Amino acid sequence: MANTTAGNAIGGLGPAAASVMQHYQQQLRTRRIYSLIAIAVFLVALWASLDFANAANSGKFFERLPYVFDFIRNFVPDSPMEIVRAMFDLPSPYDDGSLKYDYTSERVYVTENFYIPHFIYQLIITVNIALIATILGSAIAFVLCFFASTNLVGAGATRWVVRRIMEVMRAFPEIVIAGLLTAILSIGPIAAIVAITVHTIGALGKLFFEVVENADMRPDEGLRAAGASWVERVRFAIVPQVLPNFVSYALLRAEINIRASTIIGAVGGGGIGEVFRLAIGRDHAAKTYAIVILLFVTIIAVDQFSAWLRRRLIGNQSFEFGRGAA
Amino acid sequence: MFRLKNVTRRFGGKAAVSAVSVDIPQGQMVGVIGRSGAGKSTMLRMINRLVDPTEGSIHFGDVEVSALRGAALRNWQRDCAMIFQQFNLVPRLDVLTNVLLGRLNHRSTALSMLNMFSREERIMAIAALERLGIEQTALQKAGTLSGGQQQRVAIARALMQQPKMILADEPIASLDPLNAKVVMDALRDINEREGITVITNLHTLDTARNYCERIIGMSAGKVVFDGAPRDLDADAVRAIYGTGADGAEIDESMTSTSIRGAGAPVQDNIKESAGVKPLALAGI
Repeated sequence: MANTTAGNAIGGLGPAAASVMQHYQQQLRTRRIYSLIAIAVFLVALWASLDFANAANSGKFFERLPYVFDFIRNFVPDSPMEIVRAMFDLPSPYDDGSLKYDYTSERVYVTENFYIPHFIYQLIITVNIALIATILGSAIAFVLCFFASTNLVGAGATRWVVRRIMEVMRAFPEIVIAGLLTAILSIGPIAAIVAITVHTIGALGKLFFEVVENADMRPDEGLRAAGASWVERVRFAIVPQVLPNFVSYALLRAEINIRASTIIGAVGGGGIGEVFRLAIGRDHAAKTYAIVILLFVTIIAVDQFSAWLRRRLIGNQSFEFGRGAA
Repeated sequence: MFRLKNVTRRFGGKAAVSAVSVDIPQGQMVGVIGRSGAGKSTMLRMINRLVDPTEGSIHFGDVEVSALRGAALRNWQRDCAMIFQQFNLVPRLDVLTNVLLGRLNHRSTALSMLNMFSREERIMAIAALERLGIEQTALQKAGTLSGGQQQRVAIARALMQQPKMILADEPIASLDPLNAKVVMDALRDINEREGITVITNLHTLDTARNYCERIIGMSAGKVVFDGAPRDLDADAVRAIYGTGADGAEIDESMTSTSIRGAGAPVQDNIKESAGVKPLALAGI
């Protein structure tokens, strides 16, 4: 690129085009060098953080790696049927009076002869926690979100306060709130419900008000010009537009909340998470596998169901706004 | 009597409307014309108080509209219905509900929240749709209608407000000529039958000439013409729109949306008495 004066230096280009070409190639070279530096920095950082994590771990990861299959090899039920028996509270042929093979004592009798198996009952508790929390959280987030939307509330102070409240609510993970609450409310589903509700309000509130801020304001203007009050405008101009997206987000949240309530169970929130922690801690293989299978099936079922419901409710228009415009 | 006194609106340093003073007697059909950005929309939106005037005052009878607040302001907005270029309906609600929303200011918020409209109101809404010839669309979602139909839904909603005045902000600018005629005929019909004042912004001179008994021309925020269609001669048009870069005159046939063809006869459009003319909608 020494020849800068000659017009046709590069492939027969004119002088102006040749200079553009040169600049472009210079830029390209600079960009490549920066990319290489960035990749090198990234790799060093990745190696350093992995090394740090390995050092912080009590056992050394790579030294312990060969033993990963030992646990799985030792952690097997006496027979595959044991998993089914544990799942449905059927008596075990291996019963030696110990807790490990005691599947029947915790049956939950509904009538004289009909019982709900223990683990399934615990699963219902967990799902129930998630559903109540989702419904409560969505309802409160629904009310709050309109006060956080720039296009609906002129007063910056109101928006600021509502948004900060939501931020605080979603800043704490459910498990932290649950841990605090179990100290106050004692162990059980109520603490879990409150914890998940609080987080749901914060998380959904943010998603909701972003949907509201994307709404088409022409219907709102139309109603304002007709003398409608703020509440009426929100009800008739905004809610019909945003409701399908709200429902979609709430269903997604319901899926997330089922996982959250399982985890909270493990720290004292009751439900399937708690029995799972006990089973795996006590080395009860059949029970553990039964619970894992139940959880797996439930979560897949809930995901599929909510995806189906969302499709049914809103079709393909979920993220279309302002379809009224000619 | 409706009166604008020295009304000015500034956006930043720029005056969109400056010192406009206009008197409009009840029942007049007024067309406002002017270039884009001449302040036509801002003036209409100030009358409905979607925008507040920076200076000056707006009066309706004894009421100073520009000083209203809260519920009194909403009552005024109910009394002066507004129709928009983009219709501003709620696309996801059905047509009947959209029309019923014109009643919001007449009723309690609590009942409205539950979507509970009375039987009389529903009958009124259907009658309004029937008057505009779109009653068969009542159960469709407003968003699925054609532009002309949506604008007629908007007019039906305006009628439900039982207004004293209708403001139309370029009601036919996004419609084809036939639908434009239907909408303008509907506005004229309302003006003649109910004696409701209609103030409409228009883009096309021949529409203004054909439908309005009074034309107000605006340029750069000021009123530069105010008179009957007969008086809107070439000089007046030049004052309103200016001339092209090459000094050429504006050819009205370029912008004409008239179905009969350009060059509509110069006329006065003064009503002899309301309701004497055949109802415009009957022909559609």
